[in-house]
Parts: sequence; C-alpha cells; structure tokens
Amino acid sequence: MAEFPIEADRLTHVYPGGVQALKTTSLQVQVGEVLGVVGQNGSGKTTLVKHFNGLLRPSSGRLLVMGHDSAGQPVYELARHVGYVFQNPNHQLFSTSVRAELQFGPNNLGLPPAEVQTRVEEAVAFFDLAALLEQHPYRLAFPLRKLVAMASVYAMGPQVFVLDEPTTGQDHEGFNLVRRLVQRLREQQKTVIIVSHDMALLAEVADRLVAMWAAEVIAVGTPREIFADDDVMRRTKLSPPQITQFSRRRWPGQPDHLALTVAEAVSWLNPGH
Amino acid sequence: MTEPIISIQNLSYQYALTEHPALNQVSLDIGAGEYVAVMGPCGAGKTSLSLSMNGIIPHMMAGGIEGKVFVAGRDTAETQVRELARVVGMVFDNPEFQLSQVTVREEIALGLENIGVPRDEMLRRIGEVLEIVGLSGFEERSPLNLSGGQQQRLAIAAALAMYPQVLVLDEPTSNLDPIGKEEVFAVAARLNRERGMTIVIVEHEVEVLATYADRILVMSEGRVVLNGPPRAVLSQVEALGRYHTRPPQVTALAYALEPNEHRLADYPVTLEQALAAIPS
Amino acid sequence: MAQNLPIPVVFVPGRSFFHRLHPLTKLVWAVVAIVMAFATRNPLVLLGMTVLGLAFIAVAGVVPAYGRVMLILFPISLSLIVFQAIAPAFPQPWIPISRLGPFTIYREGIYSGLSLLMRTYAGSTFAVLLVLTTHPSDLFAALQKLGVPHELNFMVSASLQMVPIVQREFQIVLSAQRSRGMRARGFSSVLPSMVPVFAGTIERVQQLAMSLESRAFGSKGVKTSLRESKATATDYVFALLGVVLAGAGTYLVVRYRDLLDWSKVEFLPPWLSVTIVVVAALTFVTFTIALWRQAQQE
Repeated sequence: MAEFPIEADRLTHVYPGGVQALKTTSLQVQVGEVLGVVGQNGSGKTTLVKHFNGLLRPSSGRLLVMGHDSAGQPVYELARHVGYVFQNPNHQLFSTSVRAELQFGPNNLGLPPAEVQTRVEEAVAFFDLAALLEQHPYRLAFPLRKLVAMASVYAMGPQVFVLDEPTTGQDHEGFNLVRRLVQRLREQQKTVIIVSHDMALLAEVADRLVAMWAAEVIAVGTPREIFADDDVMRRTKLSPPQITQFSRRRWPGQPDHLALTVAEAVSWLNPGH
Repeated sequence: MTEPIISIQNLSYQYALTEHPALNQVSLDIGAGEYVAVMGPCGAGKTSLSLSMNGIIPHMMAGGIEGKVFVAGRDTAETQVRELARVVGMVFDNPEFQLSQVTVREEIALGLENIGVPRDEMLRRIGEVLEIVGLSGFEERSPLNLSGGQQQRLAIAAALAMYPQVLVLDEPTSNLDPIGKEEVFAVAARLNRERGMTIVIVEHEVEVLATYADRILVMSEGRVVLNGPPRAVLSQVEALGRYHTRPPQVTALAYALEPNEHRLADYPVTLEQALAAIPS
Repeated sequence: MAQNLPIPVVFVPGRSFFHRLHPLTKLVWAVVAIVMAFATRNPLVLLGMTVLGLAFIAVAGVVPAYGRVMLILFPISLSLIVFQAIAPAFPQPWIPISRLGPFTIYREGIYSGLSLLMRTYAGSTFAVLLVLTTHPSDLFAALQKLGVPHELNFMVSASLQMVPIVQREFQIVLSAQRSRGMRARGFSSVLPSMVPVFAGTIERVQQLAMSLESRAFGSKGVKTSLRESKATATDYVFALLGVVLAGAGTYLVVRYRDLLDWSKVEFLPPWLSVTIVVVAALTFVTFTIALWRQAQQE
C-alpha cells in the first residue's frame, strides 16, 4: 500500500461558537503503526482523531482516509475503514446479547449474512468471547463491556482502529488485556491510533507519540524521544512512566538508557538475566 | 490503637440476585487520621467496602448483610445514611454524576440546607471548603462548565462542608486526566496531613498511593487479603500478581533483580527509595 | 470531561427593576395575566396587554432572550393564523372576505386566528418575564416559604439540569453508533440511539442518589436556605397593582363582552386580512422548508 491509512493535510477545526479546537495540523499515519496521541483534556487530541472517521469535518485543509479525501464520505461509509472505539462502552452497547452487538456493525455495512457470520466468528476468536455470546452486555463487568465494544468495532473489519482511552477506568487485568490486544492487532498489520493518558501503556506499545497542547501538535516522535524532551513534558504537563523517570535519574545524560518498560531496565541492570 | 474511627467486624454482604458475596468476612480497623488505600481488581469488593462505611450498604441496597460496621461509635445498620452523612463524606468515581445544582455555591449548600445549618454559617463554610480544595472564587460558576478535576474537587468540597471526620473516595480519579488526578490526590493529601482527616481511598494508581498512604489494603473476591504499610504490602510482588493487581514499577524492577520472596528487607516502593536501593 | 453546556434555564442575570422584584410578585403577575388573557378574545385588549408585557421586557433588558424564547412559538403562531383564517374555530355562519384559490378566508377566521395568537402572547409574556428575570433557586426558595416541599424544588431544578446533559449524551451516542455504520434514519436507528442514553441516565441518577443521600438529602426537620428574598414594600405594592389591574380588566372585559366581540365586526380592512394570511402562509412554508433542510444536513 503506497498511501497512508490516515493523512491530515493542514487540517484545522473551529467549533461553531468560534473556538479554535485544532490549529493547522499535518500528520501522516504509517501503515501498521501504533500511534499514541497524548495531551491533557482540551488539548485538541480528541478533536484531531474525530476527523479520522468523519465525526468532525475540517474547517480548512483535508483529511485523507486510505488515500481518498474524507470530504463527501459519510461516517457510516468511513466506518468500513476506520473503526472508532468510544471511551465509554455504554455509549455503544444497546442489544440484548453480545452476539447481537457483534452483528450490528457488519450488518450496517450491508454485508451478506454469511459474511456477517464470518466476521462475528473472527471477532469472537480474537477477543475470546465464546463464553459470553448470549450474555446481556449490561450484565457484564466494566472491563468486559469495554472488550465487547472493541470487538463489535473489530467485527466491521476496518484497517484502522482508533481507541479512545482504552485503559481508563480499567484495573490491571484490563490493562494487560488492552496491551495484548494492541500487540495482536499490530501482528495483523492493522493501524492503531490510541488516545490516552496512560503513559505506561503507550510506552509499551506505541511506535510514535503525537504530543498536543492548546489545540496544536507540539511534538511527534518515538516514546523515548518524547519522554526525554523536558520542554514537551513540561508544556503538556504529562509525566513519563515511573520506570522511565527512574532510568532518567539512574543514567543521567544517557538518552539511549531511557527505559520504557520494567523489563528493559532489568536488562540493563542485570545483563546476565 | 485508641478507639478506631471505623471498625468493621466480620462483615459479609451479598447483593440480591447474585451468586457470590461481594464482601466475605471482612474485619478491619481504621484509626482516626489514617490514610488508607484500597486496591484490587474490578469486582473484588472495593466499592462495596466503601459503601458499607456510610450506610449506603445496607440501607440503600437490596441484599443480605452479616457482621457489623461501626463508624465513630455508631452502628451503620442502626443509623440512617443521612445521620452518618455528618461523620462520613463520600466521593464517587464520576465527577459529573454527583452534581445537580446550577452554581458551585448551591451545590455545596445543598447538604448544609438538608441538615439545617443557618445561612451565615453556610456561607462561611462554603468559603472555607472552596479554599481547601483550591476553588476559591468559583462560587457563581456552573458545575457543568468545570474541568473534570475541578468537578471532582467540588464534589469533595460538598462532602467536606458537612464537616465529616472521614472522607471515603471510591476511584475518584479514574475518569480524570493527569492534571485532574494530581489535583485530587493533592487535596486528599492536604486534608490528611494538615487537618488530620481520615482518608479511605480506592484507587489503581499504585505509584501514587505508595507515596501517600499510611496503609494499603488489597482486596480479592470479597476479602481483604493484604493489609499493612505500603512497603510491606507492595513488596509481596508474587502475591500481588496472584490477586490480579500490581506493585509500582520500581518495585517490580527491584523484585526482578532480586526475586527472593523471603528477603527480610522490603523492596523500594517509591522512586526515591528505588534510586537509593538499586545500585548502578 | 468538561463540556461547555449552556446554563440550562433561560435566566438572564441583570439588575433591572424586574430582576430585583420579589419572585412571588412576578409570579402573581404571570398568573393574573393568564387569567385575564383567557377572559377575552378581543384582539385589541390582548394586544394592549402584550404591549405592556413587552414594555416590561424592555425595561428588564432581556429583549434578545425574549425573542429567542418566543421564536419557539413563531411557527405555531403562523400556522394558527393560516388555518384559523380558512377554517375558523367558531360557530357558523362565517362571513367570507376573499378567495385564494381553493381556500376562502373568513372574517371570523381572521378574528379567531389573531385573537388566539394575541392571547398566547399576552398570557405568556408575563410568565416569560418571570423566568427570564428570576434565578430558579430564588423562585424555588420563595415557593418553599409558601409551603412547597423542598424535595419538589430540587426535583424540578435537577431535571432542568438534566435536559442539556441528556441532549449531549444523545449526540455522543449517535456519533458512537454512526461510527459503527449506523445511518441515522428509520426504525433501526431508534434502539441503538435510545438504549444507551437511557442506560446512561439511569446510571447517572443512581450515583446522584447516592451522592445526595451521603449529603443527608431527605432529612426531616427544619431546612434552611441559601437564597434569601426579602419582600419589600415595592414588591407588595407592585403585586397588588397587578391584581388590581387584572381584576379590573377582567371585570371590564366580561361586563362589556358584547361590545368587545368583534367577530362580526370588520375591524381590519379586507386587503389587510388577506395580506396577513398570505404572508403568514408563505413564512410558515419557508420556515418549514428551512428546518427540513437543516435536518437533512445532519
């Protein structure tokens, strides 16, 4: 594929009241990458990613999905290529069974019943939902509901996934689940865009981070580059994961010794391990 | 310990129409002025434990209760929630869900109106609690136009205005951005350190809790399975894993370097401790 | 998590005479205005009442807000004129004024349409004045002194807060479901749009209930109030003025009912009546098309 799955070309967005929610932004998402979008609430990160499936339209500039201008393509068409998983699963769940929930997306795309069935089965396998198929989604605990919401978007078979705060409100098990899922999506060569405050998650899974503040992108780089950039960290008022902070102080002035995971730090402290 | 401010004795609770008890034989004492953190996976019973401290369990929930909970000497089963409200303040996980009034001032006044505080005293308390949570000058603002962190601090202020002795916070930062999280943790710490407020906080941010908490409880399947000072509890890395929770990253690092569960010394649980303990 | 939700109640802060007037005084005016408005159908009397109301609105400095609120009544008013003109809600016989294609415009219809319209404005203007110039909490606190239960006040104000919230949640759910390929039309979009909103509202209300209980909601005994409205002499006098005016006015319109019954009187030249109906019809149609076009764009 020569084109970028998502490309923002001098994108801006101004809300009806006149508030500039996004200043001129150009960004190219690479095929198969896991891209983290970070920033405080109000920094413009949600505004930016909502353009990726057409929920918001550019006030100026263009947003290209799979190489085509998204203008003129309604959200329900773009949903074929870009799956947006909302932060609160309750905003998406409405059926009486998990199975029905999984069927909703593919049905909306107008796929023939056999194809819908296949997609649902793939989602069930990927998310390990076999035991929960007949359950009422609202009877499930919150982490499982988040899983079902994600699975229902997966069942639509998009190339690009946008995950909005996937680990917020989750416990440690939920965190592990999301981490594994993102890694497996990457194995399937999907492109994953994660909007998150969870620096520990992004440190583990992200290829690149887009740091935002006051409606603009102030830095794009690998997690290591971004965490090492004091200016960016200060302006966005974000903190790197504890292990990164530890390695920063343990190995001052050695940017290659900036640990993103505990395992990394272990390997440097105990090479024999 | 002098008379504990909260005493939970063999508490078991099962919600109606469920198969397993949410709380299973929990016994626990919390002393006045303690900062107690409660950790554990979803469904472990943390919220149920919190709700049993101000009487919502058993009075507002349908289910079967056994055992006793005493708060400032009162038996929660025999005392109305609205009575206990003067001793225990509660803050929930969704900042917006707790707010219903048109202005910040009225939100705080709501509780005071309910208990018949005279108007002059009301105004004084409103000013006082807004200052404590860092929202002075916000009296006329609409709660719905505040940031998440500000909303949650408002919820704390509203609870504080009742002059409770204990503040229970159930996952107060789970829906907040990093700035909001910091604000809430800072207020809780300030209340505890400067005013001796007893704090019971349910949270997942273990790195932060390790710094502030006097004591950490770990819950699993309705039971309190670990109970002690942060270093003692969080050093039990393998146990934490079994209970589906985790230690701070630096503790996991220290453990990986020296995985001896029978060490006599505890692992470091904060960044400073780790820098001191782990040599180059 | 912060959303910029507008303050839900249409209260417009200010320091005008009417803002400073006691809530109950304004309530008295609103009530007696409605009573008098229903006592007569004479368009001139009702117009007079409306003009007085508009003068109060102007003094209160809330004209734009008034306009926005009344905009809701606008299409209804237009349709009233049009439909009444061609099919009066009035006993027969009807006196025709003119023919417009297949439709006949009747004198009773003009009378009926205009008087209904004027009655609406005359009756509602004072109520709108009350709402625009009174902070809801002041109104509720005043009602509480009259014995309205504390909980009722709370229920109403909390419900008002909920309206913009539910609207916002609904928009979010629509976005979420559109992101799953749902087209926002037809029966198949009803459940996916509504169920999550209901579920969310229930969850919200449950947590609110717990939060309120934790702040001693529902306590027995004396309740105090943050809001304090002291009634001054001006408030009493003005309230009395309203009662007297409306009382006298109502007495007069009832006494001189026959004189004021203009249903058979040609109080407007025929060309004016026809023009009014045509303009109203055209405006109504334009308005409807504009609304429909806007809905299509979403």
